[in-house]
Amino acid sequence: MNAVQLALVAVLLPVAVALFLLVAAPVRRAGWPAAALSLAGAIGSLIASVWLLWRQTVLPEQALLEEVRWLPEAGSSAATIGVLVDGVSASMLVVVALVATCVQVFSVGYMAHEPKRDFGRYFTWHSLFLFSMQGLVLAPNLLQLFVCWELVGLCSYLLIGFYWQKGSAGKAAVKAFWVTKLADTGLLLGLIVQYAATGSFGWGPETVSTLQAAGAALPAVGLLYFLAVMGKSAQFPLHVWLPDAMEGPTPVSALLHAATMVAAGVYLIVRAYPIFAASEAVMTAFGVVGGFTAVFAACVAVVQTDIKKVLAYSTCSQLGYMVAALGTGSFMAGYLHLTTHAFFKALLFLAAGSAIHAVHSNELKDMGGLARRMPVTGAAFVIGCLALAGVPLLSGFYSKDMVLESLLHAAQEHPVFWFPLVTCTVSAGITAYYMGKAAVLAFFGRASSHAEHAHESGPSMALPLIVLALPAVGAGWMTGVMANLWGVPDVHFAVVHFTPIGIVATTLALGGLAVAWIKHAQGGLGGLDAAFAPLGALARSGIVDRAWDTAWRRGVLVASAGLAWFDRYVVDGLMNFTGVGFLEAGTVVRRMQTGRASDYLWAISLGILLLAVYSQARMWVG
Amino acid sequence: MTLPLTLSVAAILFALGVFGALTRRNAIGVLMSIELMANAVNINLVAFAHYTNGVAGQTFALFAMALTVVEVAVALAIVVLLYRTRRDIQIDLASEMQR
Amino acid sequence: MIGTIALSALGALMIACGIAVVRARDLVHAVFWLAAMLIATAGLFVVLEAPFLAGIQIVLYTGGVITLMLFGVMLTHRDLDAAIPNPVAHELRAGITAAALAGALLLGIWSTDWGAAKPAATVSVAQIGAHLLGPQLLAFELLSVLLLIAMIGAIALARRTDP
Repeated sequence: MNAVQLALVAVLLPVAVALFLLVAAPVRRAGWPAAALSLAGAIGSLIASVWLLWRQTVLPEQALLEEVRWLPEAGSSAATIGVLVDGVSASMLVVVALVATCVQVFSVGYMAHEPKRDFGRYFTWHSLFLFSMQGLVLAPNLLQLFVCWELVGLCSYLLIGFYWQKGSAGKAAVKAFWVTKLADTGLLLGLIVQYAATGSFGWGPETVSTLQAAGAALPAVGLLYFLAVMGKSAQFPLHVWLPDAMEGPTPVSALLHAATMVAAGVYLIVRAYPIFAASEAVMTAFGVVGGFTAVFAACVAVVQTDIKKVLAYSTCSQLGYMVAALGTGSFMAGYLHLTTHAFFKALLFLAAGSAIHAVHSNELKDMGGLARRMPVTGAAFVIGCLALAGVPLLSGFYSKDMVLESLLHAAQEHPVFWFPLVTCTVSAGITAYYMGKAAVLAFFGRASSHAEHAHESGPSMALPLIVLALPAVGAGWMTGVMANLWGVPDVHFAVVHFTPIGIVATTLALGGLAVAWIKHAQGGLGGLDAAFAPLGALARSGIVDRAWDTAWRRGVLVASAGLAWFDRYVVDGLMNFTGVGFLEAGTVVRRMQTGRASDYLWAISLGILLLAVYSQARMWVG
Repeated sequence: MTLPLTLSVAAILFALGVFGALTRRNAIGVLMSIELMANAVNINLVAFAHYTNGVAGQTFALFAMALTVVEVAVALAIVVLLYRTRRDIQIDLASEMQR
Repeated sequence: MIGTIALSALGALMIACGIAVVRARDLVHAVFWLAAMLIATAGLFVVLEAPFLAGIQIVLYTGGVITLMLFGVMLTHRDLDAAIPNPVAHELRAGITAAALAGALLLGIWSTDWGAAKPAATVSVAQIGAHLLGPQLLAFELLSVLLLIAMIGAIALARRTDP
């Protein structure tokens, strides 16, 4: 099979499953067959993706583009739909397919106690999501990307609200939907502006130069797209939906809200990088927003007590790293961090899910000492934790190092990048601290009453942890290969190498881990609590949520009141005026119908008279 | 001279019929006025038949007469029915048509 | 010339009868004025060389219609009928309408150039019969159906419904 066929298999196999399950309700409701089908689709997609990646690696072909015309116009077409196979999309395909497959296998164990109908529904949405995400990854233009972007948003909504019987899950789903929808208007408007200015939905050099020639269009388009990225990739202040999204099942959080869907925003930047890179304003915005999100979310993560919330804020923070790195122009750093983060964050979430499954609680205080009872889970979480903290030789170390290095380079040219450089470096230490704290509280120390009877999860949950732990450890060693694959020249890579900034960050990370160990395992450093207390109060007060709530509510209410007024007095007024007008006219006209035959006769006579006059007049005129 | 003269007579008779139909309040009076108009029409038909020297006009007049008779028969039946239900055949009182 | 004089005389008579028909206070009188007008019309038909129609006119109208009308008047006659006068405005409205109509028609008639008439010839009964049962056969048959319908309809309308 050639590359395009493989890509088509990777993207179309899941959608075939999803459509079949949507239509074949009995199969879906039977539960297990639906899971088997969905898994088959995911594994097929994974095989095709790996095959494709292998081909791209050993035979580094030019990007392959296969498109069919869509939205036909006279002579040409307004848009195309198809697949774009190159190193970037091939590697992302594998990341998505691998994490999705692991999560689906994990879900078989995790969701086993759900009713059959819900079980089937769950896997149907998973198949739909896999299709949407693969379609997004392979999109050859921004319009197709937008369509898939909305589709993954829909899947996110459906899966967050999976436990819809729980009111909070429904609310969280709606919140996620609306916040990302608000952001997505940016993408839509950007598409409109771009198409109006260039007549293309692509990101090729011609399109970019046309945009550049159009003056303000380039930064406008870039910033509009960035708004969508902020929504999807949970950048401050549009991050508010992501912590709430943890209401969904934990495997969903691992797949959608840690590894792939939230990374779609970053992937959009990676994909359409020429458009963003051409505008300095947009790149600066990346740096500032990404840098602030990195440190802000990391600080909030420290005071969280729910293990999933810790991980959710950590995801925000890491996405901030990626965005900031892309802002420096270092495509490699941002995309590498996306890839490694997908592996170790999915691993962390699945391990957390395994722990939650064992103790039936999300709260860190209900866990403790789980490492002895659940060795595989404990090991997986610790590996993920160390990778995320940036301990040397693990995957997170390489990508974080590269991010910080790119920020350092950028800061030397543009002083504004000192801000993300400092925040990201500090965040490295904070990240290590909160992850260490979560690992210590959940897996070491004394077991709480909930955790006493916990035992290791079954193979369907343990296996994905083992599989994901491999790239979480070793993905960084493939940096050179990936650089070739993505066509990034002159990346000098060595397994062991320390840059000055890397040494600082690593020291901070190890320090953070040590502090976490001393404080939470040994009970030392009591004063630290006081230092974080105001932050905790701030986080608990949910000030950002409140601000959004107020702004959104006020805005919506005021706008609705205006629209309601318009509707009531202008639209309805027009309607009522028409109705009342006809009614009144009817009353007037009604008087003509006296019901007396002589009056009708008179009217007939008048008619005859008029006819006679008319014929006379015609004779004279003609 | 024959044709316009005849037509004028018919026109005046027709106008008289209209006037009668509008002013008569008795249903049979109205009916008679309508007869007047129908007769005016007949005169027209015959006048034109004479003018064009054709047989069709006279045939048409015959048809018209037959129709008039039909109309009178039915109308009188209605009048009788009206009288029987209301003991009155004043048509300007008969405003049931409004409802 | 004689034709014109006869026409004028007959026309004047008919108009006079017509006025009497629409203005007579007593309906029975009106019916008789109508009969007179119809007979005058028959005379007009004779002048217009349509003797067969003249005959039919007398037989059908004076024999049938007038008798029917008389029966109608007598059956439904009540003394107070004529007692209620019309409002003047109503009469005026009707008069103006009728006068305007007559004016318009007369204007049309006298402003038209009728040209020379063809040499008149009496149409024979045989010709009418041939025409009726020839080109107009369908209309003739339909008319007979119509007469039947009218007969049944009139009976159905006027019949007493109570047993």
